[in-house]
Amino acid sequence: MTEVSIERLTKTFGSARAVDGISIRIADGEFISLLGPSGCGKTTTLKMIAGFEEASEGAIRFDGKDVVNVPAEKRDIGMVFQNYALFPHMTVDQNLAFGLEMRKIAKPEMLSRIAKVLDMVQLGGYSDRYPNQLSGGQQQRVALARALVIEPKILLLDEPLANLDAKLREEMRVFIRDLQRRVGITTVYVTHDQAEAMTMSDRVVVMFGGRIAQIGAPSDIYERPENLEVAQFVGQVNLVRGTILGGTITGPAGAGKSRVASVFGDVAVDSRADHAPGTAVTLSLRPEAIELKPAGQGGAQGKVMARYYSGSIIDYRIALDSSETLHVQTFPNIRIAEGDRVSVHAPADGFWLLGAAQ
Amino acid sequence: MKRPVLTLYCLLVYAFLLAPILVVVGASFNAGNFLTFPPQGLSLRWYVTFFHNDVFMRAIRTSLWVAAVATVISGTIGTMAALYYVQHAGRWKEAVRIAMLAPLLLPEVLTAIALLFFVYAIGIGTTTMIGMVVGHVLITLPFVFINVSASLESFDPSWDMAARSLGAGRLTRFRRIMLPLIKPGVIGGALFAFIISFDTFTISFMLKGIGTSTLPIQLFDYLRTNFTPEAAAVSTVSIVLTLVVVIVSEKVLGLRIHRF
Ligand SMILES: Nc1ncnc2c1ncn2[C@@H]1O[C@H](COP(=O)(O)OP(=O)(O)O)[C@@H](O)[C@H]1O
Ligand SMILES: [Mg+2]
Repeated sequence: MTEVSIERLTKTFGSARAVDGISIRIADGEFISLLGPSGCGKTTTLKMIAGFEEASEGAIRFDGKDVVNVPAEKRDIGMVFQNYALFPHMTVDQNLAFGLEMRKIAKPEMLSRIAKVLDMVQLGGYSDRYPNQLSGGQQQRVALARALVIEPKILLLDEPLANLDAKLREEMRVFIRDLQRRVGITTVYVTHDQAEAMTMSDRVVVMFGGRIAQIGAPSDIYERPENLEVAQFVGQVNLVRGTILGGTITGPAGAGKSRVASVFGDVAVDSRADHAPGTAVTLSLRPEAIELKPAGQGGAQGKVMARYYSGSIIDYRIALDSSETLHVQTFPNIRIAEGDRVSVHAPADGFWLLGAAQ
Repeated sequence: MKRPVLTLYCLLVYAFLLAPILVVVGASFNAGNFLTFPPQGLSLRWYVTFFHNDVFMRAIRTSLWVAAVATVISGTIGTMAALYYVQHAGRWKEAVRIAMLAPLLLPEVLTAIALLFFVYAIGIGTTTMIGMVVGHVLITLPFVFINVSASLESFDPSWDMAARSLGAGRLTRFRRIMLPLIKPGVIGGALFAFIISFDTFTISFMLKGIGTSTLPIQLFDYLRTNFTPEAAAVSTVSIVLTLVVVIVSEKVLGLRIHRF
């Protein structure tokens, strides 16, 4: 259906560069998320794709055709807003019919398309309700239906789940993702919630300050973050100091790995770039990769400073004897209490070499 | 009656607001020859006299006509001004607001005299009703502006964006999305405009066309030489007319819409 190509797209407000030369190629049917903190330019990017904001520089192509000069009402996009933006003076049916009327679709086809989409979002029987007679989750699904019923080229969603409570939010993630797969529509999803971006997307675009920090599959972003900022944004990390050791690592398992000396001993760590022996580097270590054992079982030694129980997991704060503090996340099947001395084990594949230490 | 003090207070406020009107209405059913309250006997004779009084009948037609024309013009200009003010005025916002509210801030006499000079200076004079209509538009404009901009402030821009993404052009969006959603403000403003135009004295007195007269002016004129209950009948009819306009527009055009 539609492939979207964004090239060196820039938006300036006065002297501020809200979006600063970003390029993304979105494949047909792909689900891509723009992920970043508030104010990093996600909405502005989405609005430029939709045509609500004029691009200051750069190109946006739908299937190779530059659409920068096409007004929003002619771009054929489906848009879902954070506050749903349902027309309050129209029923569900009328909201859905609006876009079809603009396209001069004949009445019988209109009715069948509305019925089909309402069925898809599990809202058959709600046709005659007004938006204020629906719950937040239902309004959300009407908004989704209204965007999909016109069979647009691209679906754009701007933080669509931000106004829902936590449980519903998780249900809707799966719901939207499944729906998108079934319809097969090219989708750009804006969120500041990393879990949302991770669970839903084929690829995630991490943005900071109007620029792209990294584009990749969720696992790529999580396991091989481009820099510290990305690593910290997509999850919790422990930072561990290390020094590059000389000597090469042989064999296929050693490809792209560096030998690093750290408080956890010498480890072979995945990295993107090569560093000269002796370079001080920063390693990231994910809290869930660390294993805690009772004291005296090898590894690094430390003491449990705090323990936070939350049902499916336990979070520990560990002070290592080498004065570093670690955040550890484990399944709740170990009996280690606050104040206990522990042995801390970190497997080599829990590390990632972020880069030279600052 | 859970809160006797509050209830009593409300009753007093209502009495204060409505008592004069009740006195006028009561006095209009007077059977006697003088404007007195309580009425001396009940009769409709002063209504009959009023409806047979050509001068009053002409004045009431003029008033209704001027109010209708002024309301339409003021409603249109005021709505457009409010649209500009809320959506496009940018850093001129405050300036636009003050300019639009200026007729409220100036004493009406001053506005009237200034306009009088103006219509003579540009050669229109007061041989037609143009001057008076312009005056009525001027003093009613702020009320339309205030009402419409209030309802525009609660108009969510994402409604407009949603309609755009669904393929609606500018006019369609205005007609099908914005207008229905700001309708309470537009109708409310227009009602204010109509009532104020219908009731105003000063502007009409200064700018009325030669040989024409509005109801308030005619009534004032009448009261200078007569003191019969006919004046009360005129006032009562005027009150009823105003009420009819309010009720009919509420029923026909609908002031209520769906909100969340
Ligand atoms: N209309 C505007 N005028 C001026 N600055 C704007 C405008 N819209 C957005 N910005 C600025 O651009 C930056 C990016 O905004 P936005 O795209 O909304 O961020 P996000 O959606 O990622 O939170 C912010 O610093 C914001 O203040
Ligand atoms: Mg945003």
